[in-house]
Amino acid sequence: MMLLPVNTLNVQAKTVTDQLERTVIVPDHPKRIVSLAPSITEIVFAIGRGSLLKGVTQFSNYPKAARQIASVGSYIHLDVEKIVVLNPDLCIAVKDGNPKSAVDKLDGLGIPVYAVDPNNLESVMTALIEIGNLLNAEIEAKKIVADMQARINRVKENISKATHIPKVFLQIGISPIVSVGTQTFLHELIVLAGGKNLSEGPIPYPRYSKEQVLSLSPEIIIITSMEREKTFDQAKKEWSTWSDLPAVKNDRILIADSDILDRATPRLVDGLELIARLIHPELFTPYE
Amino acid sequence: MTPAIDVKNIYFSYKKEIVLADISFSIEKGRFFVIIGPNGSGKTTLMKMLSGVEKFKKGKLKLFGRSIRRHARKELARQMAFVPQTIPTDFPFTVTELVLMGRTPYLGVLGVHGEKDRDIAEKAMQFTGIAHHSQKKLNQLSGGERQRVFIARAICQEPDIILLDEPTASLDLAHQINVMSLMEKLKKEKGLTIVMVSHDLNLASMYGDDLLLLKNGTIVKMGSPRDVLTESILKKTYGCELIIDQSPMGDFPRVTLVPGKRGTILKVKDIPGI
Amino acid sequence: MNANLTSALIKRIFTVSFILLLLLFFAMVLGLSEGSTGGGFSAIWRSLNPSNADDAMLASIIWKIRLPRVLVAALVGAALSSGGLVFQALLKNPLAEPYILGISGGAAIGAIIGILLGLSRFPGVNLTAFSGSITTLLLILLMASGKSILIKDALLLSGVMVNAFCSAVIMFLISLTQDARLHNIMFWLMGDLSSSDLHQVGILSILLLPCFVVIFRYSNIMNILLLGDELALTMGIHIKRVTLILLTTTTFMISATVSHCGLIGFVGLVIPHLLRMILGPDHRILVPACLLGGGAYMVFCDLLARVLPAQGEMPAGVITALIGAPLFIILLKKTAS
Repeated sequence: MMLLPVNTLNVQAKTVTDQLERTVIVPDHPKRIVSLAPSITEIVFAIGRGSLLKGVTQFSNYPKAARQIASVGSYIHLDVEKIVVLNPDLCIAVKDGNPKSAVDKLDGLGIPVYAVDPNNLESVMTALIEIGNLLNAEIEAKKIVADMQARINRVKENISKATHIPKVFLQIGISPIVSVGTQTFLHELIVLAGGKNLSEGPIPYPRYSKEQVLSLSPEIIIITSMEREKTFDQAKKEWSTWSDLPAVKNDRILIADSDILDRATPRLVDGLELIARLIHPELFTPYE
Repeated sequence: MTPAIDVKNIYFSYKKEIVLADISFSIEKGRFFVIIGPNGSGKTTLMKMLSGVEKFKKGKLKLFGRSIRRHARKELARQMAFVPQTIPTDFPFTVTELVLMGRTPYLGVLGVHGEKDRDIAEKAMQFTGIAHHSQKKLNQLSGGERQRVFIARAICQEPDIILLDEPTASLDLAHQINVMSLMEKLKKEKGLTIVMVSHDLNLASMYGDDLLLLKNGTIVKMGSPRDVLTESILKKTYGCELIIDQSPMGDFPRVTLVPGKRGTILKVKDIPGI
Repeated sequence: MNANLTSALIKRIFTVSFILLLLLFFAMVLGLSEGSTGGGFSAIWRSLNPSNADDAMLASIIWKIRLPRVLVAALVGAALSSGGLVFQALLKNPLAEPYILGISGGAAIGAIIGILLGLSRFPGVNLTAFSGSITTLLLILLMASGKSILIKDALLLSGVMVNAFCSAVIMFLISLTQDARLHNIMFWLMGDLSSSDLHQVGILSILLLPCFVVIFRYSNIMNILLLGDELALTMGIHIKRVTLILLTTTTFMISATVSHCGLIGFVGLVIPHLLRMILGPDHRILVPACLLGGGAYMVFCDLLARVLPAQGEMPAGVITALIGAPLFIILLKKTAS
């Protein structure tokens, strides 16, 4: 079965520029989409176009419906064959993670790949709009973005009343201990949520020895990772043995669900609200 | 008188091949006993049985009247010492330290030796004529000297019996005589029983009191050199022509090999015993 | 003759032990006063008399983080060095090291499975690693049993085969892992002491110290074994029994060590060689020397692992490899000449 470039199949198409400045010819009404990252899968479902998805990457576990869709490998290790077999008319990729070689291969086979680069709240919202345009869901996309913006503004408003910016250490790796630098969206969430990220700096995912964390004297420790719950409890127990730590003295060792913090999706706002509540519980009423 | 070693009906096989079959003999105390025979006759295996290195399947082996199985290893080590055929050319310890290892059967867990042990080692080294090499390492000595180091070590075990496996196999002529004389000295001066495996029929004849001739795992003949080293017995056992006459060195036989007629290859049917 | 001649050896053992004990002590003090957050010698003094919050934090760091770590490093170094010494004696092979019999392969597989199951380092991963290594030991003993005098060759061969097989399984498991656990696995494989605490010091001490005693008790026998099986047997040594006891004890010791801190390499290979070059071949001196000297070496290496990187720490196994490999080449050259 030979694949012909989209425009020779007499399908209506348009030329667009994606978030990586690439020129891509995409169909006007895509019918078979493959998402090349779990975050993309979430976004597509969020704008109500989940039925167009014919292939998703391995860890696309949200929403539940996504789990029924055929898997095309993991986003850092795409299975190009599986993608081709699904006969997509559009693939949506992320800059961070998808290997260029796989994208190039798909390009070479005439399969259009549109890349987005959601790396902070703002670019997530931009990606939402662009994907909404691609999939003829402009209205839905705009609505979601407006909702996100409103919630972000609410958080900002509440946080502006904060009297103290606590020192936060956000731990995303247990062994070795890894935190988040300035170029991550987790950093942005912490700052928006009214905290000071102790790991801010040029290294995106800096490593720490236990000693170094202790000498930073964090007031709040937030632990999040893709590992199982048991490891969180173990990590919390370990930190609790350092009774001189402000975070321990004030009982502020907190565990957060990584799914809403690790992914560049609309749920990032859920993550923001969660972090804000963790850092400044005093500024939020229980179910705001 | 209780023999030093008494062997009865020993059998040994290795992977379904019978190596020793129904061997019985005894060695009197204070005798120089030499085991001879062609390659593959089971000499080395017999030595391993006698020294306790390998266990035999069937039969009895008694040392001074007591079954070898009743002896604890350390106790056995105090009665019997072994000098192997191949001596290492290199060893990290000095000659003195090596010789002192012979005292192991008498020492405690950490092998710390006392004055008495040092004395015995010193005397053993003088007896074997290597005392002046005491601080050297093995790789600084000649083949004959190395062997004497190991003999000195064996003497330190204060054994009643010394076992040697082809001690002259890789030595020069002069050293060969040295070793044999050393053994004779040990026998005469200290009353030790010497049990030796040898391939050299003339040395066996010269020094041996009793010979044991093996072939294919069975005893062909046992007795004095004159009884064992006869033309017919040796021709049949070794499969070659030889002449036996009286040695010019004393009252014991001399064995001389006879090559086939010059230029002829012996036909198989002409080779006796095959 | 000198009446104290008996004690010449004992004196030497004590002298060597004393010097190395001092070295170990010095290494430990250094290890306590330096680390990824610095300190200096005065740090220890200050931590004992904390006068402000900073000092209190320093006290926490020194006594609760560094002390267990330094103690574990000493125990691990002692175990790996003495383990290497024993294997070199038993297998009569100067290239032998504690992992040669494949215990490391089994432990690694056990550890990786534990990490993939999401178990925490302690006790979960420790236990899975330990079971893995014991399983491989039994496998090797099974494969090598039934051969008599050639014990050491059979063991060596079985060990090499098991190691090769385990490497394949490890590669397979790693290829399946794609998330943060991969990091955890790599760190474990490289050998890492960062998860040490006083609990583990206690457990390791209970497991390892008796092994050290057993090894020392057999140190003279290891000398005798150098003469070869036939001579050792005829001097009263029960070779099979001794080999079994030493093998089991050492394997148990190495398994416990590896289960805790991963595959730290080159210590078991290099330290016995180095000490043998300096102190001679007598195992009665080498065993205490390896225990104390190996411990000191490991404490130093772990210190470097904590201090060298600008951010975070390295796995200690990286340092032992970076130092150990060239050091071993130098040693080989020296012994060859």
